[in-house]
Formats: sequence, C-alpha cells, structure tokens
Amino acid sequence: MKRFDCMKALACRLSDELVILSLGASVDEWYNAAPHMRDASLFQQQLGCVSAQAFGLAAGLPHRRIVSLDTDGGMMFNLGILATIGNEQPHNLFIVVWDNECYQSIGGPPTHTASGRVDIAAIARGAGVTRAYTARTVEEFDGHCAEGLAAQEPHLVVAKVSGTVQPDIKRKHSDGREDKYIFVRHVERTENIVIMGPSEHN
Amino acid sequence: MKPSAVDAVIRGLKKAGVSIVCYLPDSLFKELYPALDADPDIRTIRVTNEGEGAAICGGVFLSGKRAALVMENSGLRASVEPLARMGLGAGIPVVMLMSYRGELGENNWWAIPHGITMEPVLNALRIPYRIVTEEEKIERAIAEAFSWSYSAYYHSAVALGGSVVR
Repeated sequence: MKRFDCMKALACRLSDELVILSLGASVDEWYNAAPHMRDASLFQQQLGCVSAQAFGLAAGLPHRRIVSLDTDGGMMFNLGILATIGNEQPHNLFIVVWDNECYQSIGGPPTHTASGRVDIAAIARGAGVTRAYTARTVEEFDGHCAEGLAAQEPHLVVAKVSGTVQPDIKRKHSDGREDKYIFVRHVERTENIVIMGPSEHN
Repeated sequence: MKPSAVDAVIRGLKKAGVSIVCYLPDSLFKELYPALDADPDIRTIRVTNEGEGAAICGGVFLSGKRAALVMENSGLRASVEPLARMGLGAGIPVVMLMSYRGELGENNWWAIPHGITMEPVLNALRIPYRIVTEEEKIERAIAEAFSWSYSAYYHSAVALGGSVVR
C-alpha cells in the first residue's frame, strides 16, 4: 500500500477539517495529494508532538474535526499522548499513523515497528483509544477515514505503507513560520476569530 | 501554597484569558492543581510528560484559545524538544508557569539539578522569564508573560519560588 494513494483517498473526504502533519516526505506528499487542503493543513517538521498539537487544536475547537497525520517514528517518540487522548476522549480527533517501518527521510533505517513485534494500534487500544486499527489496503484505510471523520470518540488508524515516496511531486517551498501564518489565517477566516491580531497603539 | 497564592495564580490566568491548563502535578504546587480542576472556567488536561503538555498548548494556541503549561521546573527539561521545534521553528508560543525547585533554601538533594538547570535552559532557548517570590506580584507576572508571548509569538515563563511555594 502506498502512502500517496491513501492520502488521495483521505483528501477526497476532506473539506472543512483542519489537518496537522508530521515531517519528512509525507509533508510534500500531502501538499500534492490534497491541494485543496493546503491552507487548512499545518505542515510541521516535528517528531513526537504532531498528535499532541492536534489534540490541543481539537480541545480548542470542539466543533471542528481535526485530523492528525502522524508517523510510526513520531508516535513512538511520545507514546504518552495516546494515554492522554485515551483519558480525554476527544470526540473530534481522527489520527492517522503512517507506518512505513522506517525513518524514510534519512535513508530508511528501521523504526521499532519493523521488527513485527511492535503494534501501534494495540498500544493505542491499551492506552484507552479503543477505536484503534491497522489498515493494509487502500480500501480498508478509506473505510477507516469514513468512520474516523464521523466518529464521536477518538479514532486511530495505523496505515501500513511502503517506504517509497511518490516520484516527481512538487516540493513545498515555505518554512515552518510561513506555514503557521497560512494555517492561522485560515483558522481565523473560517472561525471568524482573531488569533494573531494587530499590535496595540501605545 | 497558601490559598491566597493559589487564588492569585488563577486570577492571573483568567486575566490573561486562559481557558485550558495542561499540567503534570508536583509537590510545591499541590494545592494549585485541585483548584484548577475545580474552576468552572478552566479546562485542565493532565499529561504524561511536560513536553507533551507543551505540544498540546501549542495546538491550543492555533485554535485561538489560550493555554498555560503548569509544572515543576524539572518539566522544562522534558519540554525542550517541542519548545525548540515549535518556538524557534514555527513561532508557536507556550506560556509556562513553574514551581522553582532547587533554589536557595531547597532541602531535597534530588531537586538540586532542577535549580541548577532552570535558568541556563531558559537562557539557551532565549525564553524570557520572571522569578516571583512575592504573592502580590503573581497575577501581574502571569498576565505580562501572556502579553509578551502574544506579541513575540515565542515562549515565556514565570517561576514561583520563595515563600510563595514554601
């Protein structure tokens, strides 16, 4: 199963949602797989805090569906967030864990899931995220997207994907700061709120 | 902490518009946590480590709500990675309120590292901070930390020490 194909399936289901995503090639892949969601996606280069940020966003905007696009390496970096999400039970958070069993962006050394013993969905269930599953086909993955985007409790799907990257994709040129401004302005516009307002005159 | 100091913290948080607090409990603030839990205007989120709390606070910032990370100063060390990534990489601020373990007067050997590392770690991350040891200065310090962080879009910290926490 290719991550890019999964992303395209997920992208077809998204319009009003907000997306926070992880690092490496998945960032450029999402930029290409979901062009209509560029302003609504926070492109990060972060290991270990993607689902935590997504949960914070979900807590702050309880009426809005939040999608976390995390990774095996990122989730293993901070497993505690699964226990916090398990306890807090956000009703508007859908978590995807792209599990390619390697640190793909640095050339592919294995992550812990490559051993075949470590099962992130099982860890999530043990942490109280009872709706946590593993998908191995695009059809299966797409079914979880449908469920996860409508669920009233946290839904997590580990997508077992190959370590390959979609060839010839357009690379995103912006950095973390520009990405934050684009995302914040999108949230301000769609929520009719001010997050980063004007300076005082004094 | 005296009840009046707990009240001052909560007044400061409310003055700053905080509606979500992430915390990992500690002993010096032990009276503060149940008071935060009981406050109807504040949602508390208990975290497994302070770095996770920092990242959740970053997400809350993006929602337009205001959050604070409350912890012992040892939690600063656990938070360095997400703080550096979010603050220096993207300009996503986190305001921290921490108890000052390991300052002069400390009588636990295990807390000495917390005192020795707190200011150097804050300085390494270029995080401005204020150490508050007088109760009447708590409310203003918290409100001013938020003012600064929402102008700079960078982290700031208030450490409560001295007779405020002992």
